Amino acid sequence: MPFREKTAWVMTLILTGAGIYYFQKVASLSGALGETAPPVMAFLIGYVVLVVLTSIVGNIALAMMSPGEAEAPADEREKMILDKAGHWSGYVMAVGVISALLNYAVFQDGHMLFHAAFGSLMASQIAEYLIQIVLYRRGV
Amino acid sequence: MAKRPPIENCIRELREKHGQMSQAALGEAIGVTRQTVIAMEQGRYSPSLESAFRISRVFGVGVEDVFSWTEPDHPDS
Repeated sequence: MPFREKTAWVMTLILTGAGIYYFQKVASLSGALGETAPPVMAFLIGYVVLVVLTSIVGNIALAMMSPGEAEAPADEREKMILDKAGHWSGYVMAVGVISALLNYAVFQDGHMLFHAAFGSLMASQIAEYLIQIVLYRRGV
Repeated sequence: MAKRPPIENCIRELREKHGQMSQAALGEAIGVTRQTVIAMEQGRYSPSLESAFRISRVFGVGVEDVFSWTEPDHPDS
């Protein structure tokens, strides 16, 4: 398996796990409040710290397993895969943000707008890595 | 499955003829990873024109001796 595909798997797992952590907290607080929870800095910081620390550990572990591949720059096929994945993940974010804006226009819920926009960012990042994995496996 | 590019190649055969050259060695010679050479051999990736020329130069043959067009609707002309 190419080094960058391994990285994509690790990042998909990390981002999915961190996203579940964040939205479980938000859902739990929203349930307690009886309305959409406001953005909570502690949750956001928790999400960022979780993603940053686990990414560093995961990527260091992968690099130690195959140091040669880790240092090599992306070749022409990998650059194409990264470009396509970045392109398609942009659509995922656009759909999420537009949905968030429409939701705000109808329900006037600013807290939901924040969470939906943040969720769109997460979803587009996860989609980017998932698309990379698909392209590595099925061909560009 | 993703649509395969309508280009076939005989990279594997040429590697075997050239002293069982490894995929990693070919990849290093043309500036791509071993996995990209594998993807080319399996028909999952068509290399850039530059890489196609690099491959043919490594084996000392012409580009058309390595790659051929295979789509039935668009035969060689």
